[in-house]
Amino acid sequence: MTTVVTQDRNRNAAEYLRLLVALREEMDKAMGAIANNALTQFEDSIACQQLLSTRLVVLADELSVPLSTDRAAPPAPIDDHLMHQIFTAGDSLQKLNRTYAALLHHSSRSTALMVSFFASARGQIQEASGPRLKYQTWSCQM
Amino acid sequence: MRIDPNLVPTILADLQQSQVSLNTALQEVSTGKSVNVPSDNPSAAADMVQNTIETGDVDKYTQNVNSVLSTVQSASSILNSVVTSLTQAVSLGTEGANGTNSTGNLQTLATQVQGILSTVVSAANTSVGGAYLFGGTSTATPYTADSTSPTGYTYNGNNDTNSVAVGDNLSVQANVPGSQIFSNTSNSVLGSLSSLVTALQSGNSSEVETATSAVDSALNFVGQQQAVYGNAETQLNSQETVLQQDTVTLSTQENNLIGVNEATAATDLTQAETDNSAALAATAKVLPNSLLNYLEPPS
Amino acid sequence: MGGLNTSLLIGVQALDANQGALDATSNNIANVNTPGYTREVAQFTENGENQSGDDVSGGGVTLTGLQSIRDELLNIQIQQQTSLQNSANTQSSSLQQVQTFFTTSGDDIASGLTALSSSLAQLSASPGSASAQQSVLSSGQNLADAFNTTAQGLSAAQLDADQQVPQTVTQINSLTEQIAQLNTQLGQVPASNDGGTTQDQLDQLVQQLSGLTGISITQTNDGETITTAGGTPLVMGGQSFNLQTTTGTNGFQQVLDSNGNNITSSIQGGTLGGAIDIRDQVIPGFQSQLNTLASQFGTAFNAAQAKGYDSTGNAGGDFFSIPSNANDAAAGMSVAITSPSQVAISSDGSGGSNGNVANLSAVLTNTLPSGQTPADAYASLVFQVGNATSNASTQSTALGQNLTQLTTQQGAVSAVDINEETTNLMRFQAAYEAASRIVSTVQVLDNAALNMGSSTSF
Repeated sequence: MTTVVTQDRNRNAAEYLRLLVALREEMDKAMGAIANNALTQFEDSIACQQLLSTRLVVLADELSVPLSTDRAAPPAPIDDHLMHQIFTAGDSLQKLNRTYAALLHHSSRSTALMVSFFASARGQIQEASGPRLKYQTWSCQM
Repeated sequence: MRIDPNLVPTILADLQQSQVSLNTALQEVSTGKSVNVPSDNPSAAADMVQNTIETGDVDKYTQNVNSVLSTVQSASSILNSVVTSLTQAVSLGTEGANGTNSTGNLQTLATQVQGILSTVVSAANTSVGGAYLFGGTSTATPYTADSTSPTGYTYNGNNDTNSVAVGDNLSVQANVPGSQIFSNTSNSVLGSLSSLVTALQSGNSSEVETATSAVDSALNFVGQQQAVYGNAETQLNSQETVLQQDTVTLSTQENNLIGVNEATAATDLTQAETDNSAALAATAKVLPNSLLNYLEPPS
Repeated sequence: MGGLNTSLLIGVQALDANQGALDATSNNIANVNTPGYTREVAQFTENGENQSGDDVSGGGVTLTGLQSIRDELLNIQIQQQTSLQNSANTQSSSLQQVQTFFTTSGDDIASGLTALSSSLAQLSASPGSASAQQSVLSSGQNLADAFNTTAQGLSAAQLDADQQVPQTVTQINSLTEQIAQLNTQLGQVPASNDGGTTQDQLDQLVQQLSGLTGISITQTNDGETITTAGGTPLVMGGQSFNLQTTTGTNGFQQVLDSNGNNITSSIQGGTLGGAIDIRDQVIPGFQSQLNTLASQFGTAFNAAQAKGYDSTGNAGGDFFSIPSNANDAAAGMSVAITSPSQVAISSDGSGGSNGNVANLSAVLTNTLPSGQTPADAYASLVFQVGNATSNASTQSTALGQNLTQLTTQQGAVSAVDINEETTNLMRFQAAYEAASRIVSTVQVLDNAALNMGSSTSF
């Protein structure tokens, strides 16, 4: 019985690892899509990321050992090598996540600015007077 | 949307990025560590400071355990020999008390017990690694001959003990002063032996009997002191096991914090090299084309 | 009035308009290799109808500049993000240099503390051993060296940042002079010729300027007015205002406006802002913590020495010598004792006692006046240095990608239809929001692996 449980945990852990790696790659793609202003690619990537991250949270929950666990009968340990790979992949994902978060912050500010511009571009343009190249002043509320 | 004529900076940026990944993968494989600088993982780096110091502490405690164990074991085996000597003295004294001895016999017995006394004093003066085992914290020879002293010897050491740290909150007494074991006022080994010599020399059976029973009492007393060393040994051995476990735990933590799995690193390196080659190949295809190809005539 | 004249008028206007479009196309091709050249798009809109008596005639066509307004907005964002990125880059470079002194190398402070701790333990078990005593002296020396080296590393990075100040100010002045000249040129261009090339050159220079320091731009009838983020004028129309540098009382370069006022602390963004921030805020923060640790540790260790006796029977003297100036504590820390026999091992003056070694060891495990143990205090500092470095490079990377995105938008010819562009932007907004939720979810997973109860988890 214990052997089966161990295999299940190891199998789940292996899936967890694959998902971590896949999510990191997907995040990388999303950042590239943003840089290229490629909207559809970005949206597709997010859909993938939603699936991956949801499954990861479920697996993390299944694999975690609650504090109330009987110390005399701890759950079957996950293979050391696998665990180590999980730590490494997890760290890499977290690091990229921070950069991704910063990029989202900057890009969404830019987008908000452009949306405000387009929402208010009509009807509030004034032309400067004078003989030189005309500068048009517009104002908007963000 | 029309094609962006500013593709070149994007491609160069991609190329730079794949180069960075390649360099990271190379560094991981060559050092075996995925945290080489604090910015790689600041929390891990901070935890590693603690880990380094704790690992150093565990190493030092382990060294100390071994060092004190060795001292304790030396002392213990010396006390064994003292017990043997005292046992011999008791049997000589018993013989001397049976009233059937001639004066000559008694003199012989006295000489033998005197010999045992000298042996015990030598044992009390044992030094290991340049330090006396039974002198307290003094560096003077514990027992030297002194004709003015009733035992014939004077104690030059002190009554202080040294404690050695073998754990964060665990210190073990590393020595028992000679004054406690050999010349204890309530049960003096040296005193009882020299009294026995005197009694044998006097030839008075009842004095010899009293003196012998004092030696016997001293023998039991030494036996009790041995128990102190025995307990210390047990404590040290179990602390050694705890420290070994700590070493494993700390080394695992270190691996989790900064270690890189060799197989993963090698795979990462291959992947990074492939990515880099692909990026280079893509760049080679795009750059020579004239940018004008990307411009469409205005509609 | 309508009639032949009106028709001719309309015809001429149409010709003018078409000529303008053709001019725009040939400008496009001729300038394709000039960086910063903005594609111009001729847009045609209907003029208002002329009312003349009972006749109503079509009003012909004119060029409008909606496209260029949008690009101008992108320009402004690109300038701002360039300022931020250059500042982040400058800080990142400096911090990459600084953090090497905080890595475990054998010569760093963590290794120093560990070695001192070990040598004391060895001494505790063998108080009479000359080599154990020498070991303590040597480790003390190594620890002091580690403090010195780390302090020197921080100072060196500060000096490097300082040198960037006058260099950057010179570049800024050169750019503002050129910008002022272009403003004058633009003022001389008749309205019907748009100054496309000159304007683009101007935009290029302004973008370079924004990389050097954060700026604020307003358009006036005389051209652009450019100020620093703090409001100091740099360019007003055809006139530029030079910044100056001078050595301050702390020995570092101060930035002055053209009237001689010190504006150093108001400089934000760009290479200049980044260098000043590193030099005046970030590194001094680290230095202060390092000095506090050196000073408190040395003092506590000396106090522990004083509780005991050395091998010659004398009361323990100072082990470390700490400079009286708090700002030099780490840089000037050194070992005061000259012989191993001066280590205060004994608690009662007897030669074989190890009683005071416990007091010396305790300095490493007890809390200092700061409230942290030496290890905790140093670990804290390592974290801050690593975190600051990581943040600077994270921001730099993210800003780089954001800039690529903005430049991509600028370069691409977007749909003329505002509705389509707005819809796309709103789709992007929705996508960003969904992405942010995923970022939060991923953060939740940060320590998940530690809870998986494997034999290797700690």
